Parts: sequence; structure tokens; C-alpha cells
Amino acid sequence: MAKDARDNWESPMQFVMACVSYAVGLGNVWRFPYLCQMHGGGGFLIPYLLMLLLEGVPLFYLELAIGQKMRLGSIGAWTAISPYLGGLGLASVVTSMYLCLYYNIINAWSFWYLFHSFQSVLPWAVCPVNSNRTGPIEECEKATPTQYFFYRETLNVSPSIEKNGGIHTGQALCFLLAWVITYLFIIRGVKSTGKVVYFTATFPYVVLLIYLIRGMTLHGALNGVKYMFTPKMEELANPTTWINAATQIFFSLGLGFGSLIAFASYNQYHNNFEWQAIIVSLINSGTSIFASIVTFAIYGFKATINYENCLERTRILLLNSFNLAEDSIIINNVFEMIEKLNTTFPEQLAELSNKLEDCNLENELSTAVEGTGLAFIVYSEAIKNMPLSQLWSVLYFFMLLMLGMGSMLGNITAITTPLQDFKFLSRISNEALNGFVCILCLLLGLGFTTRSGNYWFTMFNDYGATFSLLLIVLIEVITVSYIYGIKRFEKDIEDMLGHRPNWFWKIMWGGISPLLLIGLFLFYVINYIQGGTPTYQAWNKDLVSLYFYSSSLRWGFSFCCLYYSAS
Amino acid sequence: EGFKVRLSIKTALGDKAYEWNRNQRFLFQAAIAFAMSHHLDLEFNVSNVLVCDETPRVSFWFVVTSPGDPSRLVGKESVELAVRESRDRINNVLLLNDATLEFVGVLPTLVAPVKPATPPWLIVFGVVIGIVGAGIVFLLVSTVVQKKRKEKEVAEEEEDDEEAQMKRTARNEGIYNTSFSEDDRNTQM
Repeated sequence: MAKDARDNWESPMQFVMACVSYAVGLGNVWRFPYLCQMHGGGGFLIPYLLMLLLEGVPLFYLELAIGQKMRLGSIGAWTAISPYLGGLGLASVVTSMYLCLYYNIINAWSFWYLFHSFQSVLPWAVCPVNSNRTGPIEECEKATPTQYFFYRETLNVSPSIEKNGGIHTGQALCFLLAWVITYLFIIRGVKSTGKVVYFTATFPYVVLLIYLIRGMTLHGALNGVKYMFTPKMEELANPTTWINAATQIFFSLGLGFGSLIAFASYNQYHNNFEWQAIIVSLINSGTSIFASIVTFAIYGFKATINYENCLERTRILLLNSFNLAEDSIIINNVFEMIEKLNTTFPEQLAELSNKLEDCNLENELSTAVEGTGLAFIVYSEAIKNMPLSQLWSVLYFFMLLMLGMGSMLGNITAITTPLQDFKFLSRISNEALNGFVCILCLLLGLGFTTRSGNYWFTMFNDYGATFSLLLIVLIEVITVSYIYGIKRFEKDIEDMLGHRPNWFWKIMWGGISPLLLIGLFLFYVINYIQGGTPTYQAWNKDLVSLYFYSSSLRWGFSFCCLYYSAS
Repeated sequence: EGFKVRLSIKTALGDKAYEWNRNQRFLFQAAIAFAMSHHLDLEFNVSNVLVCDETPRVSFWFVVTSPGDPSRLVGKESVELAVRESRDRINNVLLLNDATLEFVGVLPTLVAPVKPATPPWLIVFGVVIGIVGAGIVFLLVSTVVQKKRKEKEVAEEEEDDEEAQMKRTARNEGIYNTSFSEDDRNTQM
């Protein structure tokens, strides 16, 4: 029996939902707010939106066009453009493979936190009691309960990447669950993915909206939002701001992995992907901005709570040392009382100086965190202080799951689609091939569930895909503009859409975007050369802090470069 | 030989805070006397608990004299053990808790954490993975069933075709020779 005609999305809406689900991921929630804070708050929007216009939308449009025209996954599509370019598609597949290996561990952590939210007292709200029941565990007391829960109970992290430890069974179970669910979502290819993305694309917005309302009504939230939105225009003079904006747009849209080509290859030939590309890019950026408002409300709340706790501790310390009546010092006049005591009992106050903390709201607000630290530590801390914390916790981690799963769908599809295009694999059924890919990634990814797994994860996250993607997309753009030819590409688009692309697109593809990408690439190369040995942060359980630990991460990075250049 | 005690009545009780006066102090002394009696199995009286150095913070020092010989003080360790043993009762009598009634230097005895037989997260995990597993099995089985049904349909179609062709041949009462077939049955003029 002949192979069935290519699967299609049931409607253009499914395709849009899939792209939104893929592009809107964890980076929108945990990377963009950090960048916003680091680079001058509201002012960062200027380079960000400019880069969206100059490189984000044109490159997104380009990948969708290729996928829809060639109706093949990344390997097949680039081979069709030029037989010498099969390696480009292969590089995309390998990069997606890398991502699939380590990305699902985040979903595993989200599951862990989600399941642990079903308790009367959230386990990261209080320190567990030590063995002789005299007080909390020492490591937990020196750090905060949320940090302790993440580093000790969730990860059981080892002191360095060399010390492997064993597999953390809880993690491994959650990791297994993450892969089982991924398989369930992709089991029939786009037929099943198409239905799932309706939910994974929309649910995060529901939660973000609920959190926005809850966040804005929290005590001290406005401090955070005000802090974020006051633009510091002098940051715009810093080149790092522009580079980070370009990089963020680039990675946030998920270009270069082959997922967009794969998704678009299931489209009807005459699908109008032009407006879809614009819409999805705008939604992606809009979500980043929306998420950062929520994050900053949460920051503001957390900073205010910490500040007030600091004041409370100072107040108790003063009361106890000077034996004053309880209501003589209240939170509002702590600083005045310190002044008064300085004049009346200067020596006694001086004795206390090493125990007295410096309570400063600005300092609390300016502690910017990104990545897993933000998602699992800072947010958990904020949640534990909210009333009805179990509900908020469940909502939040479920949202993280939807964001992560949505992106995973795109990444896995980027691997399975080109594989299915191969003739010798087309005899194996969809389900079996998808199952095989999932099991393979599951087994290889078990390394991330070991005690040193977090360090491996950081290594993959920071170095695994950055260079390769920049190079892949740069070659994509140059290929389409100069090897394939803009004229031919124009004709293809006219064939599909019914009209030629605007002069704006042609200028971007031919000139501006490649130049920007070359600039970014050079910047990264120079940075790497100047940077010396790459480092990572390790958790020291005695000092209870993260310290920089340089190690032989170089081999990991070179490995990435090596097989990329072989393709 | 004595212990410093700190009370944070306003923090604990807010509006319902009581005023620290001679009677409240008497209650405290009685509670300590009870703790000592309970621990050492001797008869301690309120007069055996001496309180001094009261401050507006509401903190003070106290010592315990031995019931047989009022000039001798009971050792610190015994007092500490007695207080730890009956901490709960002392706290409740004064409507305070471990944080608001501080015995400086005495470590609190924290409640042992309740450890359920199966950790609750494992239960939720089991439920979720069960549902997902069932979903996968269902989808796989339905795919196989669909394929089998399709194959049967195609086979039936082919059979129908053959049957129809055989019926037609039977009607013509002979072997159907296509070289002599004409679309037009009537002879042409």
C-alpha cells in the first residue's frame, strides 16, 4: 500500500497555536525580566522591539516559507535547495537533539514541585527539623528554606561536576513522567500535537492573567513594577544592551532548530503564513513583556517582605539588648530608635554593630535573578508568603509545565519530521518512530537526574546551542538570499501566497539580518576567546552559597563545534 | 545558675495581651514549680522559684532553690531538663509559645515531623502517570484496531470487485475476450 499523503494541521489556527506554544517558553518568563532589569527597565524595550523588527520577524518568515514550500523537515528541505546543504539540516536536528536531552529535566523539576504542592504546609516554606529535634537543619538555617529545598531535596546537589553521586530516584521518576507525557502528545504526529497545542498555548496566559491580578494586589508589588519601568536611558549607550536584545529575540523565537520548518511543512500549500509569522512574533514579544510585569510585581512583593522581616529582626534585637518595653519600637520607627539609642547608649549599640543588619529596600529590589533560580527559588519564596499558597503554587508550576511542554513539542517534532522524510524509515509507523526517539532521549537524559545533573544542565543550557544556532541561521539566510536567490524565493512565495513579498522583507533577508547575525557571531567568538576557561556556579553546602568553579567545560563546547563542522 | 526568660506577650496576643504584674509572675513561678516537681519527683513550692531583675521588656532571671534546703540552688542542668520536659504545659499556661516565651540558652524541643507512610507526592505522581499510561495504551490500541479495520475494508473492496467481474462474465456465458469488445453494442452503419 502506498504511503499516505502528508499529514496536515486540521486548521491554520492549529498551526498558529503550535508556533505560539513553541516560541512562548520558559525564556519569556525567566530570561526577559532579568534582561529588562539589567539593562535599564522600560528603556530596554527600545532595542528589543527594534531587533524584533530587524531580525526576529524576517527570519521567522523565512523559516516558515522554506518549510511550507518544501513540505519536508529540515534535512529534506535544505537538501532540496542545494544537495550540499544537507549538513545544515543535520546540524539543526543535532542541535534539537541536544535541546531535547536537557530541556525535559526542567519539566521534571516542575512536576516535582507541582506534586509537592499538595501538602498542608509547602515543603519549601519551613526548614525541616534536625535529628535531635532541637532546631532546623543547619544547612537550611544558613540558607533559606526555598534554597535548601531546591538544592538539597530536589536536586541533592553534589559539590562539583566531577562528583557524580547517584541518580536521584524522585527526579528520575519525574523525568520518566515528562517523557511519557511528551510521547503521549506526539504519538500520532501532528494529529495529536495539533489538539494538544490549543491547551499548552492558551493555559499559560490564563495563569499569567490570574497572577497579574493577584500580583498587583500584593503588598509591595508596586515597588517592583515602578522599579522595573523607570527607564534608565544611559543603558542604551552600552553595546551589551543591544547585543542582549538581539540574542534574546533570536533565541526566544526558536530559530534554527528546524522546528519552524517542521511545523510549516505540515501546512496547506497556500496557507497565508505571512500574517501568521508577524502575529506569532508579536505574541511572543508581548508575552515576554506581560510576564515581566508579573515577575516584577512578585519581585516587589518578595523584596518588601524581606525588607520588613529584616526590620522586624532588627527591632527584636534592639528590644532584647536594651530590655525596652515591647511597644516602644514598632516597624516604622526602627531607624529613628537606632538614632536615639546611638546618642543615649553609644557603646552598647557599637557592641551590636556586627549583629545589626543593613535593611535596604533598594538592595532587595536590585537582586536580579534569572533562569532556574528565578523560577524555582525566587517565585517559590514569593508564593509561600501568599495566603492560600498551595493553590498559587499548583497554578504556577502547572503553567511552567505548559510552557516547557509546548516548547518540547516543537523540539521533538524537529527531530521526528526529518527522520520520517527518509525513505528507509517511512516503513516504520509514526508511533514506533516517535516512541524510539523518546526512549532514546529518556535514557541519554538520565544523566541530568544525577546529583551533579544541575551542573550538566547549566553547561548544556549556556553553551549547548548558542554558537551553532547563530551559525545555522546565518547560513540559512545567506543561502536563501544568495545561493537559492531572492528572485526564486520571491517566486515561490508568490506561488504560495498570491503576492510577492514587500521590499522590506527583501532588504532584511539580503542585507540587514545577515549583517546583524555576523555581528552577533563575531561578538560571541571574541567573548569566548577573551573569556578564558568557562566557569559554572556550584553549591557549597558549608558556606551555603554559590561559588564559581572553573572546570574542563571546554571539551563540551568543542564537541558541539566539532560535529557541527563535520556536517 | 539561673536562667534568663523573655516574654513577648504583645507579639503573641496582640489586643488580648495581658499586663505583666505580680499575679502573672506568680503563675509563672507555679508553672516552674510544677515542672521541677514533675521532673525530679520532689515537692517544689512557689517560694522555691525566685524571680529577679525584671525589665519593661518583660524579661527576668529566675533560680530554683531546693525544697529541703532553701539556701541551696538546684543545678542548671536539672532545671533545663525539667523545663524542656514540660515546655508545652508552661507555654500553654501563659498562653504563649516557644518563640514568644524564650528561655535563653534552653533549646526548644520541636515537634517530630509527621511522616506519612507514602509521601503524598508519590501518590499524585502515581495517579498522573497511571492516567497518562492508560492514554498511551488506548491510543496505540486504537491505532492498531483502525489499521486492521482499514485492511479488512480494502480486502472486502477487492473481493467485491472480483465478484462483480465474475458475475458479469457469467452473464455473458463465456470467457470475456477484450480484443473483440466494443464500446458501442450496435453495429455501425
